[in-house]
Amino acid sequence: MSEPAFHKITPRAIRVWQFGNLVGNLFFFAIPAAYAAVFGLNDFHFWIVTSATSIIFIAWMLSIFLMPYLTWKNWRYAINEKEIDLKRGVLFKTRTLIPLSRVQHVDTRQGPLLRWYNLSTVTISTAATTHEIPGLDTQLADRVRRQISTYARLAEDDV
Amino acid sequence: MSEFERQHPIAAVSRAFGLIRGNFITILIFLFVGAQSDNFPFLWWIGGGFGLLLVLGVANWWRFLYKIEDGTLHIKSGIFVRKDLYLTKDRIQVIDVTSGLLQRMFGLVRLDIQTAGSSSRQAAIDAITKVKAAEVNRMLRQAGAVNTEDSIENQEFEDTPLTEQELLKRIKLPAKELLIAASTSGSFGIALSIIATVFSQIEPLISESELFEYLFGMLPSQTDTIMIITVIAVFVVFAWLLSFFSTLFTYGNFQLDVKEKEIVVSRGIFEKKRITVPFNRIQAIHITEGIIRQPLGYASVHLESAGYGDDKGTGSIVLYPLIRINNLKKLLNDVLPDYQKEFEGTRPPGRSARRYIFRSSFLVTAITGFVYWQMALNVWIWLIPVISLIWGWKKYSDAALGWSDDMFLLRNRRLSRSTAFIKKKRVQDASMIQSPFQKLRDLASVQVFVASGDRGKSFQVRDLEIEDAKKLIHQLRKNGVSTTDSAEDELKSNQPKLPGWN
Repeated sequence: MSEPAFHKITPRAIRVWQFGNLVGNLFFFAIPAAYAAVFGLNDFHFWIVTSATSIIFIAWMLSIFLMPYLTWKNWRYAINEKEIDLKRGVLFKTRTLIPLSRVQHVDTRQGPLLRWYNLSTVTISTAATTHEIPGLDTQLADRVRRQISTYARLAEDDV
Repeated sequence: MSEFERQHPIAAVSRAFGLIRGNFITILIFLFVGAQSDNFPFLWWIGGGFGLLLVLGVANWWRFLYKIEDGTLHIKSGIFVRKDLYLTKDRIQVIDVTSGLLQRMFGLVRLDIQTAGSSSRQAAIDAITKVKAAEVNRMLRQAGAVNTEDSIENQEFEDTPLTEQELLKRIKLPAKELLIAASTSGSFGIALSIIATVFSQIEPLISESELFEYLFGMLPSQTDTIMIITVIAVFVVFAWLLSFFSTLFTYGNFQLDVKEKEIVVSRGIFEKKRITVPFNRIQAIHITEGIIRQPLGYASVHLESAGYGDDKGTGSIVLYPLIRINNLKKLLNDVLPDYQKEFEGTRPPGRSARRYIFRSSFLVTAITGFVYWQMALNVWIWLIPVISLIWGWKKYSDAALGWSDDMFLLRNRRLSRSTAFIKKKRVQDASMIQSPFQKLRDLASVQVFVASGDRGKSFQVRDLEIEDAKKLIHQLRKNGVSTTDSAEDELKSNQPKLPGWN
């Protein structure tokens, strides 16, 4: 069998991740803030708080401007009548193969942010694990879900 | 059994006891605290608490109904919120029969019917007479094994009521093996932590008592070091005894029955357990050689099932608690003839050795260095990093991956060496993971998931040659189709015969 055709996920997903990280990662600033509240800002503690804050700030910036793009760039998925093939990871590159006969159920889900951008996440569950294809265009996600469930029905097999 | 039935009334009591056992430590602490204050209406509390539990138990018993119709087990339960649970026999993974002390007094058993979903946890019939249990068992298993991947051949059985399956083989655990298993049991650490917990709870109480002073007066020497050593030694001996007897009681009377379509494991001295696993529900087999057992030439055999298994939600079932490595192949041949036992394998290449060693020794060495520098400890503390180096080397030299037409073999070591036999068609998913450093050296790790309990179980081999990792993915893609092209394409120097037992 030849390599299945790999697809990228919808580029609009980058926006969603950027926005999500912008808000979600603000939480990390609470760590130095809490530290400062407990120990004060005198000499030695001042340096700890400043350095922690700046490290978190840099990571926050990266998580907004760089990581979503790289994540998108590295994401690939392929589906054919035998298996689902997922490639992802910015630093740690992971490739996962899920035989379709092992798929227990597929569903699409959509948070408010994803809905705003008209995107959905496809979730694929086996008896042991759950995988996601994030940020697909809603129409595309529905098609992918239907495709998987059709193929999975063809490959009927037991747990 | 097409009418709804109640359990035996003893279920009410056994449920109350179950609740007590589940919260044992809390109750214990409560008792100790209560016993210390005088004006605390101590007995009232206990009596009231127990009464409440009994009322709950009785209510639960009254509201719990079950029936079997057309191969479906239907359970109604819940005091206020009614719950209807339907289990189809085609989906049953494991049937588990337990008889605790209480149940045995009344000739009853507890029946757990496990499917792959975790909601089947509620499908446990707490107390049921042995006769009825056997009937339920029979009704739920009649065609349970039929609905399988080779259902075409078995179609003829579907109409004829299947009589009790013929016993093909019965394997018992010899007393010597049982004793060795008990004395080298891995639950040692757990036992130690239980004792430490209990001790930390009751320590403030006994340290005030005169008994404690009396005991220490009895000890020959009063220096601190000797006292600490004594305390540790006593702990260790107690922990060892605890794990010795718990293993002895759990695996006493061990018996493995091989039937035409299923395996029946029975074990236990006080609490008897009987686990039935159909062959086609076995997800994987893995063999564990513990650090104490391996030098003695012993290993234990486990199987993974998609049922919920034990309380922790792992679907591991002990298939055989202890066996000599030399006899292992014979046992596997007897019990699981359709599992291939020998493989062409591959090991991580030489350049990944240092990654293994670095991973296991880096943190330990750093901490040791820091502690040594800060506290000016004895030079002997450097033995710990040296051990971690050797351990890393062991991890490297034990890691291996093997494959055949329809199976994978994955071997790795954490503390004990574990060798997993997985059929390709049982693999839920397979991943290949590459970190930036692995990419530099063309290495990759592989991870294979099988269904087991609630969450599944993963087996992995790290730092393989990237081509080997790709081949594993590729092999899974072919999924059972015979792989003549890739099987003999290369002959490498590090191609061991796996698993390497005779």
